[in-house]
Amino acid sequence: MKARRDVYQAIADPTRRAIINMIAAEPNNVNAIAEKFDVTRQAISLHIQILIDCGLLVVKQQGRERICEAHLNQLSEVAQWVEQYRQHFEQKLDALETYIEKIKKERDGEQNK
Amino acid sequence: MENRTSNTQDRELFLSRTLNAPVELVWEMWTKPEHIANWWGPNGFTTTISTMDMQPEGEWNLVMHGPDGSDYKNKSIFKEVTLHKKIVYEHTSYPQFVSTITFEEQGDKTHLTWHMLFESHEQFIQVVKTFKADVGLRQNVEKLEAYLKDQQTK
Repeated sequence: MKARRDVYQAIADPTRRAIINMIAAEPNNVNAIAEKFDVTRQAISLHIQILIDCGLLVVKQQGRERICEAHLNQLSEVAQWVEQYRQHFEQKLDALETYIEKIKKERDGEQNK
Repeated sequence: MENRTSNTQDRELFLSRTLNAPVELVWEMWTKPEHIANWWGPNGFTTTISTMDMQPEGEWNLVMHGPDGSDYKNKSIFKEVTLHKKIVYEHTSYPQFVSTITFEEQGDKTHLTWHMLFESHEQFIQVVKTFKADVGLRQNVEKLEAYLKDQQTK
């Protein structure tokens, strides 16, 4: 079975997130990336392949070097969904704020009777 | 602290709000079932609190009733309750997270912070995806309802 590749799968792994962070700051070659991590070169190659499949990473050949570049447009989709989820809880705080105002008015009314 | 932040920032939500009420009132609105039921659920929902045992390991069970008649059961366990200062609870039904609410007295106002920590980044993303699907679905139902209303008045 061929694994489904999407942006969520790309960022599901801490090593892949670290690779994205690294090359987002500056494109880097495959060897330099592999050296930064305490895992095998093969493991890094696999992570890079998954990132390519997910559309978050593009490899460009420059002479003898293979340079990895980050393509992060797709990540904004994730950020938007997180923001939407956060708004759901902001709504709770809005409702609490409104409710407090209502209770304060009710209690003020009782005192003035 | 620095370390903790960098370890959890991809699986947490943090909100804060300064509320125009003294800490005693905000605490009461948060901790009394007859009050929290009035603001807890999303817009258009009503909430029934069946248990709210505010002590460590105490149960908190509530049901949110959606506008379309569906019920959403929520189970939590309180982990820490410090009067007028702090509430920590673990949401044990899906989605699982640990929620920490702090109350800080600022004269006549109260600064409230709300932190939610999910078990893993993977789980957090899953929750966000599911929520997106839910909200999308609900908005569609609302659109349909508005449309039907519109048709009936014609």
